[in-house]
Amino acid sequence: MKVPLSWLREYARFDATTEQLMHALSISSAEVNGVERLGVPGDISLFKVGVVLEAEKHPNADRLQLTKVDVGEAKPYQIVCGAWNFGVGAKVAVALPGATLPNGLTLERRKLRGEVSEGMILAEDEVDLGSDHDGIMVLDDALTPGTPLADVLPLVEEVLDIEATGNRPDLLSVYGIAREVAALFDGELVPLDATEPAHTGDEPVDVRVEDEDGCPRYVGRLFRDVSVGESPIWLKARLRFAGVRAISNVVDVTNYVMLALGSPLHVFDFETLHGGRIVVRRAKKGEELRTLDGAVRKLDRSDLLIADGERAIALAGVMGGEETEVSETTSSVLLEAANFEPISLLRTSERLALRTEGSNRWEKGVDPHLAGPAATMATRLIVELAGARWTGHADVQATLPEPSVIQLRPERTSAVLGLEVPAGDQSAILAKLGFEQSNAGFRVPTWRARDVTREIDLVEEVARFKMEEIPFTLPQRDAMFGRLTRWQRLRRLVEDVLTGCGFSEAYTSTFVAEGDLRLPEPLSLEAAALRTSLIGSLVDAARHNVSVGTAEVALFEIARTYHTGRELPDERWHVAGIVDGGFADAKWAVEQLYTALKVHPAYERTSEPHLHPGKSASTAEGWVGELHPSLLEGQWGAFELDLDALVAAAPEAVEFEEVSSYPEVRQDLAFVVDDAVPAAELLAALREAAGPELRSAAVFDEYRGEQTGAGKRSLAFRVAFGSPERTLTDDEATELRGRIVQALADRFGAVLRA
Amino acid sequence: MEWDPETYERDAVAALERASTSEEVESVSVSFLGRRSYLKQALREVRDRETGMRLNAMREAIEGAVAEKLAKVQADELARKLAEERLDVTLPAELLGPVRLRRRGSLHPSTQVRRDVEDIFLGLGYEIVDGREVETTRYNFDALGFPDWHPSRSPRATLYLGDDTVLRTETSPAQIHKMESTRPPIYIISIGRVYRRDTIDATHFPVFHQFEGLAIDKGITMADLKGTLLYVMRQLYGPEREVRFRTHYFPFTEPSMEPDVSCFVCGGAGCPVCKHSGWIEMGGSGMVDPYLYEFVGWGPEEYTGFAFGMGIERTAQLRYGIPGIRPFWDNDLRFLRQF
Ligand SMILES: [Zn+2]
Repeated sequence: MKVPLSWLREYARFDATTEQLMHALSISSAEVNGVERLGVPGDISLFKVGVVLEAEKHPNADRLQLTKVDVGEAKPYQIVCGAWNFGVGAKVAVALPGATLPNGLTLERRKLRGEVSEGMILAEDEVDLGSDHDGIMVLDDALTPGTPLADVLPLVEEVLDIEATGNRPDLLSVYGIAREVAALFDGELVPLDATEPAHTGDEPVDVRVEDEDGCPRYVGRLFRDVSVGESPIWLKARLRFAGVRAISNVVDVTNYVMLALGSPLHVFDFETLHGGRIVVRRAKKGEELRTLDGAVRKLDRSDLLIADGERAIALAGVMGGEETEVSETTSSVLLEAANFEPISLLRTSERLALRTEGSNRWEKGVDPHLAGPAATMATRLIVELAGARWTGHADVQATLPEPSVIQLRPERTSAVLGLEVPAGDQSAILAKLGFEQSNAGFRVPTWRARDVTREIDLVEEVARFKMEEIPFTLPQRDAMFGRLTRWQRLRRLVEDVLTGCGFSEAYTSTFVAEGDLRLPEPLSLEAAALRTSLIGSLVDAARHNVSVGTAEVALFEIARTYHTGRELPDERWHVAGIVDGGFADAKWAVEQLYTALKVHPAYERTSEPHLHPGKSASTAEGWVGELHPSLLEGQWGAFELDLDALVAAAPEAVEFEEVSSYPEVRQDLAFVVDDAVPAAELLAALREAAGPELRSAAVFDEYRGEQTGAGKRSLAFRVAFGSPERTLTDDEATELRGRIVQALADRFGAVLRA
Repeated sequence: MEWDPETYERDAVAALERASTSEEVESVSVSFLGRRSYLKQALREVRDRETGMRLNAMREAIEGAVAEKLAKVQADELARKLAEERLDVTLPAELLGPVRLRRRGSLHPSTQVRRDVEDIFLGLGYEIVDGREVETTRYNFDALGFPDWHPSRSPRATLYLGDDTVLRTETSPAQIHKMESTRPPIYIISIGRVYRRDTIDATHFPVFHQFEGLAIDKGITMADLKGTLLYVMRQLYGPEREVRFRTHYFPFTEPSMEPDVSCFVCGGAGCPVCKHSGWIEMGGSGMVDPYLYEFVGWGPEEYTGFAFGMGIERTAQLRYGIPGIRPFWDNDLRFLRQF
């Protein structure tokens, strides 16, 4: 909300600079987005009240006047002026040479069509007070020439931009902010003028509220002989500074009162109301309303309406209807000062995507007790500004809830804050905010009734005002447990292994086109379900990098996948990677991962539609392979493993074995064997045959050629024999070797190469 | 071969059927559709509209059959080629081909911030939890004091999977689960993905990461919250940082406040990063609302506690000066390799 400071200072007397004000409000009350200095930017002493001494047609220009204006100095100023809406003796607003206008123009003495012009007689738009440029401003006759113009017109204004949190609808008004400011600076809140203008006439006003829950209060006031016209400069200026467009005196009054007090008002052209009646009810099925913005709104039975004797005339609290709008020809006005329940109003404005200054206040909950003061203020202004007679009054109200009374233990406040706040100080803060203290506790003011319902809410009120006094401490601990879980440690290990292997970490979206779990309302076609694997997103990421010309692409990701579960989906962490290279690169990384986690995987040939049929292997935890070439151009290695399963498979502790002090006997054995026999099976058989004396065994060469013959290959193993107790003899080594050769020959027909 | 419009198409299809390589399909195509084919010649000579339409329909039919057959033959050829490339997948990687990975990879900036945050809080004696991403509305909203009408509950703001299940909008549900499973002292940080229904643009992505802290013990105060966040912010942004707290409003904390850190770009003088205020907004915080204690079945005043939440991406943006959110999800190696 934009708050002109001169307006704020009308309601609160306090001693603070704008800087101090902004600071205190932002710490204790609401977000302050900034301050804007509007109006005349430079020296305001160059703006004065003048009296026109002479006014004649410019000798060289038919459309200009040549004037002499007395601004209280020894000699009058000669000023050329384009307006004709004044004559000799008029009091006018003058900007002297050297003055800078809000649009940045600095006035100089200069010749206009051969005559010297010393300054400017001002129209309201030239000093940002309105949009009128039809003529210059004619000021009050009682003013003395030479009076600083700033004493008469709001030439400069500082405007705070304040954003209240959802729990503080009371701060959506100048008066509410004034109350807060008075409390913050120990100042004084000026009481609202409660005087009602005289009632001239006693016409009945027919108001029926059929839905008291939706509308607990409805004040309707009738005005006759209303002259709808332009608002005075002060009113237009205030609205303009507050960011609201001036429309006409009657409509401006409703906006002014809404900004001043926070209770939105509405006015109807009374003559357009069928039966002269107001009915507050829910919409009927199929009912429609053309709102002020010209749109035809299809109404829902949950919408709260203002109707007349026959039809809908306004969406309660959201927007009025076009047919009952106050216009220039209106002479009878019905003023609505009501209170509407927030939730249904919020639903209506959300459903219609229709947000207004009014709905923004109602949906946060406006104090129902504001309807009266708002009606009073508006009545005074309509009578004063539109020359109207107030002739009728109706006030329909449901029983409003009693304000709650809450106990506050001052020591509780101090305990929550970590700051000793004397009970008297706490009471003083609450009193300034309108909480009346009695033996029973603190009575919550009506404008805070929704927000403050418990002791802790009172504690917060004190905390707000002590925010900067609260010290910086750390909790006193008597138990400590700061440590990563095993899962978290191993996740870091996996991250480090993969970056070490050359993979950069990617973060891809949770959403894909297809998955076990679909979004009933998808974000888009490509983001319609939760993913069951990571590889698809990584293929996309790799494709992006290729498209921008990046070489040596290698990416990995650790993230959740989502599968159909019992009550809630089964969320499983996966780790996946993609690498520009091929099967060997991917497998190498996967081997590093397994080694780091001390898990021994069993690779088996597998086939997946997205993988190369000859180059893909599965393990108990997932798969590794080469991407099917139809997926991404070139050779790409890829893998995806279930991280939760990997962590579960990892041993909790290392089983240490003492390093043997006896030398190992190393031997290389090459076998020619059928191509179809996987190396892993040979290795397993070799280990089994050799028994505990086999310290290590690995494949170190694969060879196909003339010597091996068709359909066969040679596989070379490096084995090491040893014992923790003694050095093995040559004979023993030969015997072990013999067992291996025999076993592989028996089981696979493998032939030892010479 | 004679030009016989009656059998031409049938002949073409038969020829395609006999073709088994892409070259053969190609040559069938040339002879039936090529420049010197009977069909092309006939099309050149056509004079009446009806014949023209008939021949064009024939041409389209044969073209379709060629394309279909070609796709099939190519797929077969690829499958054969791939079958020939078959490797013994149980061999160690170095026997499967050259391993070309050479350059070192990098951890994503979000992970680097996550680890930093983890380490800072481990140092303060906190545990790290994550929980689950698909949550019930009971844990995501009810437990956290969101009233029924709260705009966050709207499907326009939150991603629903079912009537009562959502993708969590903050990591706090993990904190409620922790509260239900243990008694204070509780000192935890929850870190993980959270979701909002946002349209993707420079500053919005429907997925982001939060870290949220919860400390519940006997005698925890607002002063402890201020002190903890001062320590954390100085760890994250430098020892000269100051922290200030502004009153705010959140459903699950009372009192609530927003922490600001003194701007480390301009030192307080004002710059675009701090929107010329000298202070940078960091997130939300406050004292745990007593409602939460009752929700998990404890007495409302047995303990007090504080909670706070901040964004991982936002922290990384501030630390590294990354504009916008897109680089975090684009996975462009030119970006990632800088970290
Ligand atoms: Zn800055």
